[in-house]
Amino acid sequence: MLAHYLARRLTQLGVVLLLVSVAVFSIMHALPGDPVQLMLSGAESGSVTPERQEELREEMGLNDPLPVQYGRFLSGAATGDLGTSVRLRQPVLDLILDRLGSTLALSLGGILFAVVIGVTTGVLAALRQGSWIDGFSRLLAYAGVSMPLFWLGLLLILMFSFWLPWFPPAGSEGWRSLVLPSLSLGLVSAGVIARLTRASLREVLVEDYIRAAWAKGLPKRIVYLRHALRNALLPVLTMLGLQFGAMLAGAVVTETVFSRPGLGRLVVSAILWKDYPLVQGIVLFMAAMYVVVNLLVDLLAAWLDPRIRDGAPA
Amino acid sequence: MSPPVPARTIALSLSVLVGCGSPDNRGEADDELIIAWPASREPASLDGHIEPYQTAWLIDYMIADPLLIIGPDGEFHPALATAWSSNEVADEWTFVLRSGVVFQDGTPFDAAAVRYNVERILDPATRSGEMAAHVGPVERVEVVDDTTVTLHYAAPWVTVLDAFRRVPIWSPAAAEQWGIEEFDRHLVGAGPFLLEEWVPNDHVTVRRWDGYGGWNSIAREAGPARVERVTIRFIGEEAVLGNVVRTGNAHIAMNLPTAYIDDYRDAEGFSLLTGYQAGTGLQMVMNVRRPPFSDLRVRRALLYGTDQQAINDLLYDGHFLVSDGPLNTVHRCYREGSADTYPHEPETARRLLEEAGYTDRDGDGIREAYGVPGVDDGTPLRVRWTILDREEMGEAIQAQWRPLGIDVAIEIVPGPVQLEMVNARDFDLIYERQRSPDPMLMDMLWNSAHDVVGGWAWTGFVDEELDGMVSRLREIPDQEMRCELAREAQRIIMENALMLPTLSEPIFYAVSDEVLGFELASEGQFYFVHNVELPRTH
Repeated sequence: MLAHYLARRLTQLGVVLLLVSVAVFSIMHALPGDPVQLMLSGAESGSVTPERQEELREEMGLNDPLPVQYGRFLSGAATGDLGTSVRLRQPVLDLILDRLGSTLALSLGGILFAVVIGVTTGVLAALRQGSWIDGFSRLLAYAGVSMPLFWLGLLLILMFSFWLPWFPPAGSEGWRSLVLPSLSLGLVSAGVIARLTRASLREVLVEDYIRAAWAKGLPKRIVYLRHALRNALLPVLTMLGLQFGAMLAGAVVTETVFSRPGLGRLVVSAILWKDYPLVQGIVLFMAAMYVVVNLLVDLLAAWLDPRIRDGAPA
Repeated sequence: MSPPVPARTIALSLSVLVGCGSPDNRGEADDELIIAWPASREPASLDGHIEPYQTAWLIDYMIADPLLIIGPDGEFHPALATAWSSNEVADEWTFVLRSGVVFQDGTPFDAAAVRYNVERILDPATRSGEMAAHVGPVERVEVVDDTTVTLHYAAPWVTVLDAFRRVPIWSPAAAEQWGIEEFDRHLVGAGPFLLEEWVPNDHVTVRRWDGYGGWNSIAREAGPARVERVTIRFIGEEAVLGNVVRTGNAHIAMNLPTAYIDDYRDAEGFSLLTGYQAGTGLQMVMNVRRPPFSDLRVRRALLYGTDQQAINDLLYDGHFLVSDGPLNTVHRCYREGSADTYPHEPETARRLLEEAGYTDRDGDGIREAYGVPGVDDGTPLRVRWTILDREEMGEAIQAQWRPLGIDVAIEIVPGPVQLEMVNARDFDLIYERQRSPDPMLMDMLWNSAHDVVGGWAWTGFVDEELDGMVSRLREIPDQEMRCELAREAQRIIMENALMLPTLSEPIFYAVSDEVLGFELASEGQFYFVHNVELPRTH
């Protein structure tokens, strides 16, 4: 049953990636601007002749018809070759892999903060409904949803780098440089997770099997942690998969604010420079990563809850 | 009762983190100079033969001495070449090279190495855009002997010195070993520092090379640099860049945002350095192909109606330089008379607009065209101000031109859109800036032969006299004569009001007093770290 489920999801993955490749290729080529001219537009004295620009365009294969360029991109991608960056002149896959570690560390750090802060606050809020911690979890959710990520990042830098010089405001060396960017990413998701945990736990706590657990005289810790929280966290797990996508998107902003190298900054500069192969490669890679993470989360949920893999309503 | 607040846990965590914090925010090696750059200034490649941006050459300056430099005094000085000369027509240039120099990999620097570097730049496989254009149409590089090399050009090439002060001279052995794609992470030259690592989007670190002989005229001692390491950090956020020196996270911040100047000016423990960049300044080119700027009177009216000094004072506390012509005031070929050509005379501007057929008949404060060729009667006088950033400058212009009866529409566009608009010749006033101490840029910008897609002459103005004059800048080697030509060209451009000069943005550096020996070059974007010391650390 699980194998069938997996096969269906993998087929969907292929279709999603194909559609993403078409979309990103079309959008990039519909946008105004010529990569060669852009590459030279900020050059210091405008010395490069139009003839030389044309030669560079030809050498980079930018004069080929669009279907040819798309075919080249797709066939390359199918064999793991995402092409060569127009501006950086390096294989796109190498550039992605170079920066993947930094972005993954940031995203996982963000997830860690989101889970620790979100689940802890959510549980406390559920157990103490109407208390100040419940109010705090609501405030956290509102703040997380409404506060722009760059602003949150700047506030954290102001407080914990400039006023209290505990963490570096920029860079990627050592674990200390990871704390503030991860915290800013995590805080955005923590509020959502806190509210979801609270709601889910409240629902579970009135289920019959919890009453049965109380009736058996089980200690509080066992009832809350083993029976209630374990079941309450299933929707949170699904939410985490979705939040991973938000983390990747948030990395674009966070990496810029905290001057960290990563896929986010790489894709921003690639878009600005109209570096077709690099944008296409990164978007495709990130889409694949997002889909795969969600697939893993679904599989985990299916493994934890037989009702999901059997197609029954959870 | 509510569960106990995890306050103690939070406090404990914070105290652990505080304990891990270092009192010195730089937290790096003791003798390491840290320079913060805006992330936007990070080059795509560190190999200056390939990368078209000055910042790559600035990094290369630490790793590879060029043949010559432009010193802080604006003059050419020896580096790996001790002397140079050209024949009368400037199609043969000879460099006498310093003897006894080796590259960082131990291989000798000689005439063959110079030939290799020139040929590498011109090799189509290198795909060099800007540097190949600077080096020019070299037909042959002749190795006369180990310390003499002659470049034979297909045509007179008068900007050879300006070109070769940019060209990093790489070790041929290392360049061959790593190839075009890999070499920029393994640069080997004959400069004061070895490339230690480049983490793109993060930092570049170079380490002192103990074999350096102080071959660059800027070096005060015939030996290695004094500082152990130099790290350039690329900062993505303006607010962070503005604070990193003050908070001790860097020694120097290059391109300090204007908003942070006051934090460093006259502040104890810091100095604020200002570098100027010879070139065009932030000029707005007028599209003379169509109304309203096809009419000289309208173009002149804008120049008479603009008070750049007031804008400078209002927006930038007077820190920027007011430009008054196609070359800014720090350019050695600047034309003195430009400042007097169009004094701020709003009444003259109004009169010219009236004469051109623009009158406000409906009383809404904006003039309409009446009897203007190619324009429907009653069409409001509305001009588009197209620029990449500095919206505030457009707003100040809006405020100055509104009383003249001109409606300004500000268009802030990204670079790709700007270029598309230029290619389609779809603009009224558009931003264009080029930087170079050589007047050759006048040819690129104002010769109508370059009014093609991919060219840099955008205005659409065609004038044989101007074209001929700026073309000659490519042929005449004498620097003073070239400046005279450039000044004459500036006169024609201003008489025809082809552009609106605005301001020149200086480059501000915040420098900690811990740093000694940091020197700006004559061009603001260049500096030298050959003599830098960090006495605090000793």
